[in-house]
Amino acid sequence: MRSKLACAVLMAPFFLLLTAVFLVPVGTAVWLSFFGADQPGLGFGPERTVFVGLRSYVAVLSDPTFLNSMLTVVLYCLIYIPLMVVGALTLALLLDSGVAKLRSWAQMGLYLPHAVPGIIAALIWLYLYTPGISPIIDLFAKADIRINFLGVDTVLPSIVNIALWSNLGYNMVIFYAALQAVPREVLEAAVVDGAGPVKQAVRIKAPLVRAAIVTVTMFTLIWALQLFTEPVLLNQSSPMISARFSPSMYIYDAAFTRNNYGLAAAASVILLAFTIALSYGVTRWTNRRAAR
Amino acid sequence: MRLSRRTFLAAGLTAPLAACSTPQRRGAGGPVEITFWSALRGSQQVVDAFNSSQNRIRVIFQQIPSGLQGGYVKLSNAARAGNAPDVATIEYPQVPGFAIDGVARDITDLVTDGLRRKLLPQALKLTTFDNRMFSVPLDIEPMVLHYRADLFEQLGLRVPRTWDEFAELAKTVRDKDSAKRLVLFPTDGAMQFACWAWQAGAKWFDTAGGTWRVTMTDEPTRKVAAYWQRLIDDDLVFRNAVESRQSDAQIGQGLVVTRLTGAWDAGAQMRARPGQKGKWRIAPMPVWDEPVVGTHGGSTFAVTKDCAQPEAAMEFIEWQVSHPAALTARLKSGTSSQYPVAPGLVETGSKAFPREYYGGQDVYQLFKQEADKVRDGWVWGPRMSATQRVMQDGFARAGAGRTTLIEAVREAQKGTMPDLKALGLSTEEGER
Repeated sequence: MRSKLACAVLMAPFFLLLTAVFLVPVGTAVWLSFFGADQPGLGFGPERTVFVGLRSYVAVLSDPTFLNSMLTVVLYCLIYIPLMVVGALTLALLLDSGVAKLRSWAQMGLYLPHAVPGIIAALIWLYLYTPGISPIIDLFAKADIRINFLGVDTVLPSIVNIALWSNLGYNMVIFYAALQAVPREVLEAAVVDGAGPVKQAVRIKAPLVRAAIVTVTMFTLIWALQLFTEPVLLNQSSPMISARFSPSMYIYDAAFTRNNYGLAAAASVILLAFTIALSYGVTRWTNRRAAR
Repeated sequence: MRLSRRTFLAAGLTAPLAACSTPQRRGAGGPVEITFWSALRGSQQVVDAFNSSQNRIRVIFQQIPSGLQGGYVKLSNAARAGNAPDVATIEYPQVPGFAIDGVARDITDLVTDGLRRKLLPQALKLTTFDNRMFSVPLDIEPMVLHYRADLFEQLGLRVPRTWDEFAELAKTVRDKDSAKRLVLFPTDGAMQFACWAWQAGAKWFDTAGGTWRVTMTDEPTRKVAAYWQRLIDDDLVFRNAVESRQSDAQIGQGLVVTRLTGAWDAGAQMRARPGQKGKWRIAPMPVWDEPVVGTHGGSTFAVTKDCAQPEAAMEFIEWQVSHPAALTARLKSGTSSQYPVAPGLVETGSKAFPREYYGGQDVYQLFKQEADKVRDGWVWGPRMSATQRVMQDGFARAGAGRTTLIEAVREAQKGTMPDLKALGLSTEEGER
């Protein structure tokens, strides 16, 4: 009895927060997506709230700008996630192998960008990307290389770059921690069997931190699908980033510049469903591979 | 325990909210207070003039960012929270949107016949939907051709009267000086493009059948798009954003020889580049066959749903749009050259607007002649800011050679329809 009570008390904050910051907003979004403040005909009459069924969902899914934003974010994930996972893992393995000198300094230097808030990071990069004020572009120009970081084709890689800069160190720390848990006797056995440092890293260590790789991939995926801060900021200096560049930006635009809350809510629910489905897919896929 | 905590939180939350709500209107005896938001330059001077002209109504003015820079979002959010200002400035393209959202109230019964008679009917039509009027126009801005008289003389050019002549001239300018171009195609200029389509007889939105009929790629629009596409493809025009340092440089260094913008821009140009005094002149916008034009810019005043004193608000609006002192105050600020919707004010404007910058030209007489040529029948759509943005996203890519202008317009229509449908409006799509 006593332990049950303790359990309830200890769990309560979690469930309270889950309800307040997740279930209630999701419920509101779902509700909003099924109702509309309608006026008949041209729309100049008095409003009344009516149940509109799937109308907002049909509108979102028939909106080429929304589908484009989904396509953009998928493309972003395809570039960003492999680079992030492989990059962070490589760095962690390098640190772990002892090849790298000044290990703690390197670790801190790599981690530091993560402590910079996303909006500040985007501002820093905005400065570095903007022609006319960027020292980097000036430097390239001196070597007679003309580069436009915010052009049609370069804008997505530029955003990937900001995200990598911010998050590489963080994920590296997760991998590094996981590597510390790899049993030393396994590594000693590998050495005895004649495995060099590269073979050790690729064949022994990496497979042993699989769980961490899956976790990092999943978190990165969920984070990436919500792409918002960087493009919103870059939007101010590049016409190649539209107001509906990513799904999150589409939702923001629908709610706050188009005053179309039903549309925004429906798009949010679609993005949520998409994220859940994709995360579930990744888990299932990795679990099946683990079972084999 | 939890209850007291909640009340504590509630008290903490309401205190700052109360502090930022609109000031309370004074009781009987004192003047009625009216709050007014505007992004228009010179508004403070106009409000000061109004406040000192009488003592029954006191207007409290707040300068807000221009519409697409956040002004409209601010207004919508304030209205949603129930504390919109009594009077708000809304540009023509956004009037139907704010009317549909219920922010701009139906003022049909508040507008007196006297006021109606003072204003140009072609402007009133743009703020009237479903036979109901939603805002009072302040200025109507026919597009005009601003040109560098000195460069025209130097290069031996003649002011073009038709679009064919204009295209010819574009070639001449490029051939005579490869660094110069006749004009800029603004990749952030969906409103300029709309004006050209309007002039050619396009009807992007039509409400005649009691339903929003959207046809953004009608024959006139296709003609205009093809015309500019050819100028772009032949490298006869600059193609970048007009709101950019690049464009500032093009104008500042005399690389661009003409500018196509609304009448209001004469004042903005004067303020932005005092050094080019005496070099510019203004001519009518080129035409196709019929002597008609479209408008670019222009503002209206709406009484919002949150206004408690609509009559007082309307009195202030009427004064702003039709009293000579209002126009004088605005022009005295030295930054405006708005063309008033009240023809009775043209003389005032003509006198108050300094003529030196345009080499002594009486630009107001030109504006008057052009305002009478505004083509009848144009209707703005219910979500014009969004339509504009999608179109400009396309224009930016068209400027980089990745798509075409007409494709950008088509995308704008496709990106607008879901919005209108989700709002529950009755819609219909024309060819696209």
